[in-house]
Amino acid sequence: MYGLFLAIIAAAAATVLAGIGSAKGVGGAAQTAMGVLSEDSSMFGKMLVLTLLPGTQGLYGFIVAFLILINCGVLGGDLPTTGQGLAFLGASLAIGFGGLFSGIAQGKASVSGIAMSAKDEANFSKAMVSITLVEIYALLAFIVSLLVVINIPALKI
Amino acid sequence: MKSVRIIALRKDRKRLLEHLQNSALVEVTSEETAQEGFVRTDTSAQLKQFERNAELTEQALRILDREAPEKKSLLDSLRGRREIDPDEIGEIAANSAKITGICKKIVKLDHQMADNAAERVRIRTQIAQLEPWKKLDIPLNTPDTASVAVLIGTFPRGYSTQELSVAVAEASPDLIFEFEIFYSSSNLTSAVIYSPKKQKEQCQAALRTLGFTQPMNPTSKVPEDKVRRLLKKDKDLEEKREDARDEIAGYAEFRGAIRDTWDYFVMRSEKYKVISGLDQTKHVFVLTGFVPEVDCEKLQALCERVADCVVEFEDAGDDAPVKLRNNAFAEPAESIVTMYSTPSKNDIDPTPILAFFFYFFFGMMFSDAGYGLLMVAACSAAIAIFKPDRNMLLNLRLFRNCGVATIFWGLAFGSIFGDAPAVIYNLITGGNITMAELLPWPILDTQKDALTIMVMSIAMGLVHILIGMGCKFYICWRQKRYAEALFDTGLWMTLLVGLAVLAAGVAAGQLLVYIGAGIAIASALGLVLTQGRSKKGFFGKLIGGVASLYDITSYVSDLLSYSRLLALGLTTGVMAQVFNMLSTLLGTNVIGIIFMIVIFVVGHAVTIGLNALGSYVHTMRLQYVEMFSKFYEGGGKPFVPFETNSRFFKTDIKENNK
Repeated sequence: MYGLFLAIIAAAAATVLAGIGSAKGVGGAAQTAMGVLSEDSSMFGKMLVLTLLPGTQGLYGFIVAFLILINCGVLGGDLPTTGQGLAFLGASLAIGFGGLFSGIAQGKASVSGIAMSAKDEANFSKAMVSITLVEIYALLAFIVSLLVVINIPALKI
Repeated sequence: MKSVRIIALRKDRKRLLEHLQNSALVEVTSEETAQEGFVRTDTSAQLKQFERNAELTEQALRILDREAPEKKSLLDSLRGRREIDPDEIGEIAANSAKITGICKKIVKLDHQMADNAAERVRIRTQIAQLEPWKKLDIPLNTPDTASVAVLIGTFPRGYSTQELSVAVAEASPDLIFEFEIFYSSSNLTSAVIYSPKKQKEQCQAALRTLGFTQPMNPTSKVPEDKVRRLLKKDKDLEEKREDARDEIAGYAEFRGAIRDTWDYFVMRSEKYKVISGLDQTKHVFVLTGFVPEVDCEKLQALCERVADCVVEFEDAGDDAPVKLRNNAFAEPAESIVTMYSTPSKNDIDPTPILAFFFYFFFGMMFSDAGYGLLMVAACSAAIAIFKPDRNMLLNLRLFRNCGVATIFWGLAFGSIFGDAPAVIYNLITGGNITMAELLPWPILDTQKDALTIMVMSIAMGLVHILIGMGCKFYICWRQKRYAEALFDTGLWMTLLVGLAVLAAGVAAGQLLVYIGAGIAIASALGLVLTQGRSKKGFFGKLIGGVASLYDITSYVSDLLSYSRLLALGLTTGVMAQVFNMLSTLLGTNVIGIIFMIVIFVVGHAVTIGLNALGSYVHTMRLQYVEMFSKFYEGGGKPFVPFETNSRFFKTDIKENNK
């Protein structure tokens, strides 16, 4: 009973927290990109790429949530024990907070990258690579959540 | 790269330059000033003329595109430039005067339309100002009669007849007056006030206290007539604007010709820029530049065919530009290398290595046979149908090759549009089968075997990094910096290999642990002994050596970075799976099937868009940050040949090179 409840909270936390990070990141980047586009609409493709970069955190959160739902019996299968539910909740916090803060930080980097590319299009690839430097922390959080979540059903707790 | 000097007769100048421009074999260089004994031709007047004409045609084209847009699909941007015969340029040149005339007309019509629009704004303002006077049947500047003063004007608030008469009477009790209100709104009342002429001053003073103002620039016509005249004028202008627009649209048939002429002017101005940098005497001119080594013979043959000339080649100096040359497999990835930086003279060309890993890692992250197949099909079709120009062609080939790798990894991970085959199979038969059971070959399940794939990713990262370090080793060795090659690069390579063997030993067997640990410890000792060699004193050297071991953290973080191969691969698979699951929600009735198709198409389109972008960005990052940082310097100057930078036509190069 409690196990399922905790697992659902875990899925929600992973999606929502990481989603907030991405939403803030992409939102800020999109605002700046539109400013650039109002001057020169031919930059749309490049701006789209830079704007979307902070969007992956939300995706990672969603995938962890999906894996939790698959493994916790909501979509068929055994229901988790309370211990397993707590474990799901713990696992979800990694991508939840990792995604939240790295999404916001990456959004800020994106804004600067957009400004840089707007000045000189040749800077685009440098901006892109610099922005992805932030992403590694979301990825690490994602991998921690992932490795725990897929192993929880086998845990006897 | 060779530097080249071509000495030819001046009478052949035009012919030779045109052939050089069409063949795009040589980059022309020019000193600031002419060498002694030579003069330069001042072409700035012609140059300016061509540039002005190019600008004019460009402007005309833009106007034409705005007023008479051409039907164009998004895919047309893939289409290559139109190929034309070199002889056709002569025709374009002959036509250019006529086309410039048309462009001038278009621009003039556009100016007229702009003036017209401004005039209409003025008319509208005038009409709006006359609005309160529409019912007035005398001119606004009607003079006083012999005995009656006529005051026409507005109050800044709304009055009814009664309110106004009270207000005026209060302002001046003994004033004799009569008035008519013509218009009244909440904040404006227009009225005509009559009073005996001898009380005019008094009346004006009274009205002033109520905020009464007389109109500025009153007309001598009855307002209604004036409005009618203005409306007519407005309509005329509108008609004129339509006429101008129709006339511009009528020139749409010249669009192609205008484009060609634009290119022609750009081409000519480029040629004149080159001419202005040539050293010349009365009969001879000298052209200097760079030419790729493979093209030397071709260039010589071309020059000797079209002109009497001497062509001399020399080894190029350090400032020579760089042109990358690769086979069909690696060539598409050249743009990825140059996007980072063009290789310098000291670098080796990293394109072949980069190309392989670019495709490989992209495939592993995008990892879906269905998506890969779509990429290959779409890119191949675009290449066949649109015959794109070189840059676009290379990009399409880049993604086609990535698509092949994607198919490979998709099959390895058992992902074909996610788990679509299994989902459809289950839907039809009512079974409960997974992709692993459905496919005849063993697969790596990204979810169940995540740990295995992560280890694989990091192992591949190790290989990638070691190859990067191997390049560094080779570059140092080639430059005879043996200490750097052996100690700074070689020892780290053996240390990493030792640690990898050690890690493999932990899983596989005791013997490997000893071998790995042995190699790692020996390498680490070597590093301690050698890394402080530039420091002074025994302790300086020792501390420098020990501190260098701290660099291990950067190698570890580089290696961990490759875990993104797993993360992005998994993302693609799971997103596809989610959409497959959603699509079957409504079952197998008619509505369910329609719903399924819609969700399937839209869902997979979203997955492709997001994950292709992610894979592209992250594979690029792995090349730039993890591998290039190990050895690549960049900073070279790209080779920019003297060629036709046209937008709409290209001359048939094969024709010129035969």
